[in-house]
Amino acid sequence: MSAQLRIVIAEDAAIMRDGLTQTLSRRGHDVVAAVADAASLRQAVDTHLPDVAIIDVRMPPTHTDEGLRAARSIHADHPEVGVLVFSQYIETQSATELFAGAPAGVGYLLKDRVADVSDFIEAISRVAHGGTVLDPEVVRQLLRASRQAGSLATLTPREREVLSLIAQGRSNTAIADALVISPRVVEKHVASIFAKLGLAPSDNDNRRVIAAIKYLGS
Amino acid sequence: MLGWQRSHPWQADGLLALLLVAISSGQWQGKYAAGIAAVSVLLAATVVPRRRYPVAAFAVAIIIGATQVAVGVQPAGGARPDFGLPLSASLQPTMADVAILVLLYTVAAYRPRRVSLVALAACLAGAVAAIARWAPAHGAHPGGPLFAAAAGLGGAALTAWVLGDSVAYRYRRAYYASLEERAARLEAERDAQARIAQAAERARELQERRARVVDESAARLRRIERDLHDGAQVRLAALAMTLGEIKEGLDAAHGVDESARTRMLAAAAHRNAKETLAELRDLARGIHPPVLDRGLGAALATLAETSMVPVGLEVGIAERPSPAIEAMAYFCAAELLANVAKHSGASRAAVRVRGQDGRIVMTVTDDGSGGARLAPGGGLAGLLERVQTVDGRLGIDSPAGGPTAITIELPGHA
Repeated sequence: MSAQLRIVIAEDAAIMRDGLTQTLSRRGHDVVAAVADAASLRQAVDTHLPDVAIIDVRMPPTHTDEGLRAARSIHADHPEVGVLVFSQYIETQSATELFAGAPAGVGYLLKDRVADVSDFIEAISRVAHGGTVLDPEVVRQLLRASRQAGSLATLTPREREVLSLIAQGRSNTAIADALVISPRVVEKHVASIFAKLGLAPSDNDNRRVIAAIKYLGS
Repeated sequence: MLGWQRSHPWQADGLLALLLVAISSGQWQGKYAAGIAAVSVLLAATVVPRRRYPVAAFAVAIIIGATQVAVGVQPAGGARPDFGLPLSASLQPTMADVAILVLLYTVAAYRPRRVSLVALAACLAGAVAAIARWAPAHGAHPGGPLFAAAAGLGGAALTAWVLGDSVAYRYRRAYYASLEERAARLEAERDAQARIAQAAERARELQERRARVVDESAARLRRIERDLHDGAQVRLAALAMTLGEIKEGLDAAHGVDESARTRMLAAAAHRNAKETLAELRDLARGIHPPVLDRGLGAALATLAETSMVPVGLEVGIAERPSPAIEAMAYFCAAELLANVAKHSGASRAAVRVRGQDGRIVMTVTDDGSGGARLAPGGGLAGLLERVQTVDGRLGIDSPAGGPTAITIELPGHA
């Protein structure tokens, strides 16, 4: 994960834009452009074709969902460019829209996550490499409000934890690290969860995340 | 009787004409009975249209009368010039000449005084002419019966005019009174209308002012949310990131005791920054849910997705309400869904929003235990107060045992 990434940052708040640029640079990444609005973002992405673009949802001129729309169109035009949308708020609707069509290299995180710098940078890296990242808060909301409450109730507490981490986009190894259990045990949990929920098992981390999100959101 | 003759003028006057014919029929005698009868009938006939055409009828009658005076001779008794024609003898004054009086009365009663005075003058002139015409034939002594009849005719004409004129006076007075009354009524009506217009204007003004206040407060909340979002929240996020860097740097350094203490402090500050961020986020969202910027449908969808009880959502509004109304509908739905989760024990709920005559009607239903009601200081009372600020309505249908349906009706614009 320590491979140097080429990154474009779109964030209208200068303090956050500069902070991110410095932090990422210090960790050895190359911030090729740091812009403050969606139009400049499109331009920067077209010019630099970065590994990943970190995009604030609310930017000028309307301060509503420019970032979200820009992320979708960037992903449509340049599927190889990872897009990590980050926002002060998390809306499951935006998440569902962003993850519609089983995309690869898409992330959606709460802005607070920058506080845990290493985790945040790890998420950026995952998105840059075609992975999927979904904020734990969104996953929590999806789990809580899922219409599949009946089948979710059949999961053990441990399995729910694992499902939550799957939905966040974690690999088996990462889940094993997070829960301090062996990867073999994680595999067993995953197989059990997918069987209980009637989902087709998949070795592909990314497809697995999408399946989980779709299931929870349906 | 009076009513009948007023509502049936033609029939009444027809009867009057028949009466005149009957009275005069006693004079239809002798050689010229047929001629006399014809003149009598003609004269009597003039009263039939008297109410519709008083002046014309009068004119016709006076012409017949004048012709009698000019051409006719006195009735039997005196020496009369014999033209050898039956005509002159047939043109005697008859009882049917009373028709002239009746018509004079009618003109005086129904026509302006200047017209009736002319008619009176014509009658008096006729009477004078009759006296002049027939008095010599009676030996010039004014006491003769025909003279008396002619003088009587003048007096009768005057009487008929006075009677008619007094009726006209009563009519006029009643007419003026009704005019005055009508004017007064119109004025009162105008006053009332002016007051209503004033009140309506005032109501409109107040409505506008209230709409401005509601919109302003919604805009102010939105500004506060944006200030928090762009200011404190982002600054704090940056601070948390810096602290995170420091903490991770210290963690990596594995330093001595001093650095352990610093690490602890950095960790605490880091944790505080993160918790403050979460609190600020909730606070800002409570002030103005940013998802509302994307419309009521999107906001309610997010709300439904985070509800503890599964929520079915159906939003069918053609035109976006004003931001203040969207915010109000959103907060109402949030409160109602929170109630469903807290009190109803429902297994599912539904939110339905539709437009109706420019208003927004939102219904939140659940299959819970029911019994929801307006209690002073309760959540529903608070909602009612809130929606009333924009002329909204709140309906509760929640029998014991359920199900519950709460309906909120809001104007499309505050």
